[in-house]
Parts: sequence; structure tokens; C-alpha cells
Amino acid sequence: MIKLLAAIKKEALILLRDRVGLAVLFLMPMILIFVMTLIQDSAFKSLNERGIPIVFVDNDKDSLGISIAQGLLNSGMCTLNFSIDGKPATSEMLEKAVSDGKFLVGVVVPKGATETIRNNVKLLVNQTLGEIDSLQKQSDSIEISIFIDPITKKSFLTSVTSSLREFISEIKTKIMFQTFSEELSELIPDKKNTPKNAFAQSQIIKYKEVYASKQIGEIVPNAVQHNVPAWAIFAMFFIVLPLAGSMVKEKNEGSVLRLQTIPTSFLILINGKIVVYIFVCLIQLALMLSVGLFLLPMFGLPTLNFGNSFSGIIILSFATAFAATGYGVMMGTIASTEQQGAIMGSLSVLLFSAIGGVWVPTYVMPELMRNISIVSPLNWSLNGFYELFLRGGGIADVLGAALKLFLFFLLTMSVSIIVNKFKRKI
Amino acid sequence: MANNPIIKICSLSKTFVGASDPAVRDVSLTIETSEIFGLLGPNGAGKTTTISILCGLFPPSSGSVTIDGMSLDGNIDHIKQIIGVVPQDIALYPMLTARENLNFYGHMYGLSGKPLKDKIELWLNNFGLAEAGNNRLSSYSGGMKRRLNLIAGILHDPKILFLDEPTVGVDVQSRAVIIDHLKELNKAGTTVIYTSHHMEEAELFCSRVAIIDNGNIIVEGTPKQLIENNEGCSNLESVFLNLTKRKLRD
Repeated sequence: MIKLLAAIKKEALILLRDRVGLAVLFLMPMILIFVMTLIQDSAFKSLNERGIPIVFVDNDKDSLGISIAQGLLNSGMCTLNFSIDGKPATSEMLEKAVSDGKFLVGVVVPKGATETIRNNVKLLVNQTLGEIDSLQKQSDSIEISIFIDPITKKSFLTSVTSSLREFISEIKTKIMFQTFSEELSELIPDKKNTPKNAFAQSQIIKYKEVYASKQIGEIVPNAVQHNVPAWAIFAMFFIVLPLAGSMVKEKNEGSVLRLQTIPTSFLILINGKIVVYIFVCLIQLALMLSVGLFLLPMFGLPTLNFGNSFSGIIILSFATAFAATGYGVMMGTIASTEQQGAIMGSLSVLLFSAIGGVWVPTYVMPELMRNISIVSPLNWSLNGFYELFLRGGGIADVLGAALKLFLFFLLTMSVSIIVNKFKRKI
Repeated sequence: MANNPIIKICSLSKTFVGASDPAVRDVSLTIETSEIFGLLGPNGAGKTTTISILCGLFPPSSGSVTIDGMSLDGNIDHIKQIIGVVPQDIALYPMLTARENLNFYGHMYGLSGKPLKDKIELWLNNFGLAEAGNNRLSSYSGGMKRRLNLIAGILHDPKILFLDEPTVGVDVQSRAVIIDHLKELNKAGTTVIYTSHHMEEAELFCSRVAIIDNGNIIVEGTPKQLIENNEGCSNLESVFLNLTKRKLRD
């Protein structure tokens, strides 16, 4: 125990005296988390909160045009513009504006669209009621033009076109109901029983969107909830650089050689490092979460919500800290030079973070990458924090992730011991 | 010389993985208790490899070593308790002060509390480092670092002290202090095994020397015996050159 305490003290002193190293460990991740969250929050808002910019030309000036415009506005997935550069939008201006990249999507509802639908529906109703010859031809179909900027994501385009289809179908049904009601009121003598507002009554299925969260109240996924845990985990794993660096330095400076001639286990020396760097990881995480809690709201960003389970956060934090430290020890054991340690460590953490969903959430990745992401310990930790922060999960919900991270720590330590033994058998 | 060997090396050989030639080949030596034994040789002769094997840093490819009556194979932890090692490199932490470095290494040898503190102060005083003891090693001169490097190897009063070129790159004053204290340690009963390129220093300091070249021990004896047995040689350096020749070594 005395040896372990001495090893911890030595490691802590060396770390505390390395001011540049401390800045890299604590200050840089805080700046990173701040900048990345601001950037991603803006992107997040433009696509989800403000919506994609759509320019709309309503040549119809009747139910269909009004209904589509109202529907798009109410959908919340877009910002609807009726003018271009301060002038009322026309079809020609719209096409040019979209091709110039001013808008991602442009929609033109042609003149007389509602009237065409109305006439066709009337014809259909009258044919159904046998008042008109069923062979009489319907008017030509209407054509709603949708202009698309090639950079528009397929998913957004699909959302817009399916919404348009929905609005058209709705207005068509509405007109049909009205026409049927009018025709039936002619046939039924007791007009009191004629269904009033029949269309509104036909809306028997309603939708309610609720984020699947286990906690009371609703946490809306936002850039802060995603980015703070993601970048905090990234920072924790980035301790691989100073940790591996200090191990290689000890080897190169001869301290390891001297320590190998002392009756002290390799594990005691390594445990000294592990204790100190786990502590560093936990301080890092606390600082990162504080940024989400106090600093980011000062810049108009949402406040980080910690969910319901403080114990869950503690368990997951320790598991992540162990995994990150174990990985650093393994890199420090394998690397022969500081350059090797720095390159291997930083590149592998960048790779793990990229595939693990730190840079881009895994749900927007292609299926192949989503399948690969499960090999990243950063992904296990991130999913655990999502479980706590977004879904309001508890200890039971993060035990799987924590167990995987602890097993990863054991694996990296085993590899370190084996490599160390192998290197000494030269 | 009393026949009381503390180290017995029999047919020791070491070939590193990937190397075509052995670094040490069929070395046999006996080192007596309380002697100052010099292992001399040109660069790459096999001195450091031999000492590294004796310290348990890596196993030999063949041969056997007995230290203080214990076979190296299977007793390495016990042997590490009775040996002290002063490596050629300054194997200390530059970001720590002298006292912090010694405190750490002392604890690693199982020392603690007042006994450790007293030893640290004693040696810092003896080597003229007490005043600078709270300064970081990075601010030390080469000679100060060498002295501290030596203290870290003797804090636990080892029975056997291995020194790999302990005076390389130091000024005359530091060298004198180091050699004087090593002689005192030896008088107190510590067996000293020492490697150096300084033939003059070895001639004055060592009770017995062995000259190693290309992994082989080519001669051993007291400096006086070696000088007498090599015709035309007036000192150990001329014996060394006579035996190892003037070809440059890497």
C-alpha cells in the first residue's frame, strides 16, 4: 500500500507540474465542447427547429394553395417564403432562386388547381349518384411543381413531397365531403339531419409525438444533450496521449530500467498511473458537464439535463474512466517512442470516436458504419449517457455499457502485462 | 583474497532476438564479497548486457548465475532486495525535486517514515546536494544529476552495488566525490561491480578487473597483475589497448 501511495504521489506531482499537459487535459476539451456544441446547435436548429427554407408560389389562390401553405407552416419542418429578394415570388423567379441555392425547395401550385379538383370531384359524385353519364371524361389532372436544390437531402425531400401528397389528399377528401353533403342535402327533405362539418368529424385518427423518455417531463434532444457527453467521453479517452507519453518517457529516460531492478511489481507502478488518470478523467467529465450546465446556457444554448440517475452517471463515469485509462496504459506499453505513442494514441482515439458516434451520431450513419460502431468503447459509453440524459434511464439501463467498459479495461490491462513480459524477454 | 564468492557466473551467454551474434558468450566469473570489481571493455563489448542479466533485467540465453548463494533463476525478487543499481542513464524524474525522487525510490525499496527521511538527508549531505534538495532535477547540472543517480541506487544499503559508468560526463570534483563515497561503501561491506571507460579511474579504484571484448572475457585479475603480465604495458589503459586493439568500435 505504501508503494502504491508513493507511485500515486509521484504520478500526481509530475502531472501537476506539467502546465501544458494540464491545459491539454482540461482546457482544450472545454473549448472543444463549447465550439462543437455551438456549431452543431446551429446546424441542428437550421434543419430541425427553423426547418429547411422553402419558397412557395400560390397561383391557385384557393383552398388547395391555402391548405398546402398552411400545412407546411404548421408542419414545423420548413420556413415558408412567399417572396424572393423582397418581391412576390413567381414561378420563374422561384426556379432561378432554387437553382442559385437560395432555397432548398420551391413549390408552385398552379392556377385553378382547386377548381380542377372540385370539378373532378363533382363529376365523380354525380356519376356515383347516377345523375351524369359515367363515360363523361374528367378534367386534366393538376400538376404541382416541386423544384429541388441538388444538395437537398433525400430524407428532407421525401418529407416535403409526402406532406404535399397528404395536403392534396386532404383537400380532395374535404371537397368530396362537401360535394356529397351538398348533393345529399338536395335529395334529403329533412335538412336538419344533413351532416354539418362532416369532414371535421371524419378526422378520427390523431397523432401525438412524444419522445420516448422514462423520466417525468420531456427532454427534447438537442445539440447540448448530444454533444456534451460525446465530447466529454472523447476528452476522457484523449488522456491516452499524456498517459502513454509519460510511460514512454519513463522508458526512454531510464526510470523504468531502474524500477525493473527494484523488487516492485510492474502492476504497482501502473496502478499508480491508473489511479491518478482515473481521477483526471473524472475531473474532466465533471468540468465538461459543468460547461453544459452553466457555460453553454449563457450563450443561448439549452441547459444540459442530467436525467434522473446520479448513481447511473457515477457508475458510467467510472467505467469510462477505467476504459480510457486502460487504453492509455496499453498504448504506453506497446509504443517504443513518444512519437509512436502520440500517433497511435491520437489516431486510434479519433477513429474510435468517429465510428463511435462522437462526431456524427450513429443513427445518421450508413448501416455498415452503424454495425461497426459497436466495437468502439466510446460508443458504449455514449449510448450509456444517452440512456441517462435523453431517455431518463437508471442504473439498470447503463449496467450493460458499464460492464463492457470494465471488460475493455481488463482486456487492455491483460494485453499490457503480456506485451510488457514479451518485451522483457528480448 | 578471501575465498568467499558473492557472485558466480558460469558459461553465461546472451543472444538477443533477431541478432546473429551473441552479445555475451560463455562468460564465467567469480566476484568475491566486498571487492570492487571492474568490468572493462570497449563500446558494445557486452559489459551492460552482463550487468543487466545480473540485475534481472532480462534472462540469459544459457548459463547460470548465483548471487549471494541464490540462483538468479527463481529468486529474482529476493536478489533485487540485496542489489542496488546505478544505470548509465540518469534514471530519475526531471519534474521532481531531489528529495521527491529519493522519497519515491526509497518507498519502492520498501523504506518509509523517519528511517527513509534520515537516509535521504544523510546522503544528500554527503553528496553536497542538501541545499538543492528541493529543486527540480531539471535545474541540476550534469554532475549533480550523476550524484543523485548514485544516491537513488544506495538508499536501501544494498549488499551488492552495480554501477554502469557512474562517472561518465562529470567534472573532476563530482567524480572525486563519487569515487570517495563508493570506497566508503565498499569499506562498509558493499560489493561493488563497476563498468567504465576510464582506465585510470578503474586502475585506482578496482581491486580486480576483467576485460571483456566481443562478448568474451579476455583477461581478469588485479590491475597490478594485468600490467605485470602484459609486457611493455605501464598502466591499465595500455593493457586494455594491447588486448582489445585500436580498431574503432560502435
